[in-house]
Amino acid sequence: MKKILSSLVLGFLLIGMVYFSIGIVSAVDPSYCCEKTTDGAWCQNAPEAQCAATPFRKASTSCESTSYCKLGCCYDSQEGTCYENTPERVCEGSNGIWEENAECDIPACTLGCCLIGDQASFVTQTRCKKLASVYGLEINFRTDVGDELTCIASATSDVKGACVFEKEYSTTCLFTTKKECATMAGNNSAEFHEGYLCSADELGTVCGPTEKTTCVDGSDEVFFMDSCGNVANIYDSSKLKDKTYWTKLYGKAESCSYGDSNANSVSCGNCDYYLGSICKSAKVSQRPTYGNNICADLSCSFEGQTYQHGETWCANSKGIDKNLPGSKSFRMVCYNGEVSVEPCAEYRQERCIQSEVNNFKSAACRVNKWQDCSAQTEKDDCENGDKRDCNWLTSTPNRCVPLYAPGFDLGTNSSESNSICSLATTTCTIKYEKKLVGEKKCVENCECAGGGAAWKSNMQSVCNSLGDCGVKTNYLGVTGFNKWS
Amino acid sequence: MKKKGQVTMFVIFAIIIVVLAVLIAYFYPQIRFSLGGQTVTPSSYLQSCIEEDLNLAIEKVALQGGSLNPEHYLFYENEKIAYLCYTNEYYKTCVMQQPLLKRYTETEISKAISTRADECFSELEKAYQRSGYEVSIVRGKPSIELLPKRVTLDFNSTVTIQKENSQRYTDVKVSVMNNIYELVSIATSILNFETSYGDSETTIYMNYYRDLKVEKIKQSEGSKVYILTDRNNKNKFQFATRSLAWPPGV
Repeated sequence: MKKILSSLVLGFLLIGMVYFSIGIVSAVDPSYCCEKTTDGAWCQNAPEAQCAATPFRKASTSCESTSYCKLGCCYDSQEGTCYENTPERVCEGSNGIWEENAECDIPACTLGCCLIGDQASFVTQTRCKKLASVYGLEINFRTDVGDELTCIASATSDVKGACVFEKEYSTTCLFTTKKECATMAGNNSAEFHEGYLCSADELGTVCGPTEKTTCVDGSDEVFFMDSCGNVANIYDSSKLKDKTYWTKLYGKAESCSYGDSNANSVSCGNCDYYLGSICKSAKVSQRPTYGNNICADLSCSFEGQTYQHGETWCANSKGIDKNLPGSKSFRMVCYNGEVSVEPCAEYRQERCIQSEVNNFKSAACRVNKWQDCSAQTEKDDCENGDKRDCNWLTSTPNRCVPLYAPGFDLGTNSSESNSICSLATTTCTIKYEKKLVGEKKCVENCECAGGGAAWKSNMQSVCNSLGDCGVKTNYLGVTGFNKWS
Repeated sequence: MKKKGQVTMFVIFAIIIVVLAVLIAYFYPQIRFSLGGQTVTPSSYLQSCIEEDLNLAIEKVALQGGSLNPEHYLFYENEKIAYLCYTNEYYKTCVMQQPLLKRYTETEISKAISTRADECFSELEKAYQRSGYEVSIVRGKPSIELLPKRVTLDFNSTVTIQKENSQRYTDVKVSVMNNIYELVSIATSILNFETSYGDSETTIYMNYYRDLKVEKIKQSEGSKVYILTDRNNKNKFQFATRSLAWPPGV
């Protein structure tokens, strides 16, 4: 009888424990798929209480397993654009066409090279047609071009030249494409001279050289302008009186100081955006020899240092070297003479890394892989930089700790941060041996003996390296309230 | 006595000038309507009537991720910025929240401007009637279209006016310069990166588009605010995402 009773009690206890543990799990896990959450987000795995009320659906499973929140490709048949990882419900609610392929690997979303005028774009065929209708241009959609760079490189501009025609009893000229010249001519006779500028003497037009310059939409360079307002060759002060330079069209590579940025050059307008300059109105302090435009310098000045246009570099808040609470990394970006700041993730979950090639800096925020450091028991595994960012402490006891201690959200995750910090809580029991004759002698954990200053120091550094644990001052220098015990 | 009279005259002139200024400011479209003795087209009248409100509506919607009243948003710098791609979980890429962004933004701007569009149309009708025209209007629902470098408001209406002869206007449209079309296209590309890889590289866009500034500002709980700015005209489009977020210290 006793045996039966005890087995019943044990059984109830076990059932109770299982029930209790399930209760804990369901209270913590986001075990429902909410079609919409109470805060308005679509298709989220969340606790039941966060699911919006009817008519929105919910199911006790993950969203991947539901029909209404299954992710697919949402296609805009008017614009020809594709949206990946879109729930069916969200797509159809936006009047899109949904297909069960989250990566949009479907024929309608196949990209090709769309050549419109002298521009190229790597888009879908529908998008290409849409762009053509928007810009009012003819298109050439090439499916044989498989990548964006080749596509952009295949964009060719129409042949340009001088379009000479009669207007108000004088011979005038327009620098344009052959096609436009033919269209413009209409009933009148217009002659197209390929590769010639309107200022060419042999064309006998009223257009001639001037000292004026201009910036052209879509081009980096500063151009000379003729007296009829046509764009001529790239500005080069030494060629102002050069008749040949005002006769035929010269390419960028044949123009002054090709391959240099020519930033702030008073004599050359061969600017290059990728090398750090672009045509802009000149400031009063930087007047070019002729005209009002100059290759503006796009480099940036930051904290007394000059950075090239396109450079990115790391900047850290105070205390990042010691992983102090509140410290974090930033990526700085220099474009168009302006520096912008991109903070890496909070709580040192990302680190900024930087490299330099030919004096050109590139930086990125990279994930701090500290999570499984404490699980490593071998030095090689611990210091495997491809897998994790950890540091092997050789002091006794050997420990694998994060190389960059993560920060904690002390406001909301205090229990989780406590559990991490508690990994450093340890007790050192010293063993002494006393023989019949002589003093007692330490035989085990002797480093803790006599106050164990070195051992304490080691353990404090272990504690500090686990995260925002132990006694620390924050990145602003404010001391925390913890005390070593 | 003479001086007093002069002062009174000046005061009267000043009052007349102020009253005139107020009247001009209040009835500007109507006054403009009858200037020069030429018939003002419905489009040009509506342009002056609605242009300012249309610009404000575009700006408001663009700063809120394409939404007039965002439902699921991040509060940043006193703006409600809609999440266009979101996951509430850690280590996961986001789920698209607003596909067909261009069409959605167009609808939201239409909503924002609809009341003012109605008012302007009523004012147009009255202005023609005051000028002695017989007016017949077939009203449709105004629609917005985002186009390269501009935004067009099509009233989808037909206006027929008659005095000595009849004139019929079917293409009643208003246009404002704005680069929201380009900015929305870039936002769409960023969203596809966010949902596939959990992040995007801002410098790629700034290399391609010379007048574009892309800012990415990470928030403490893993959200990101993207601010796209045209460097020339300072047009902005900003939106929020939460993708591949990492938990603090767990």
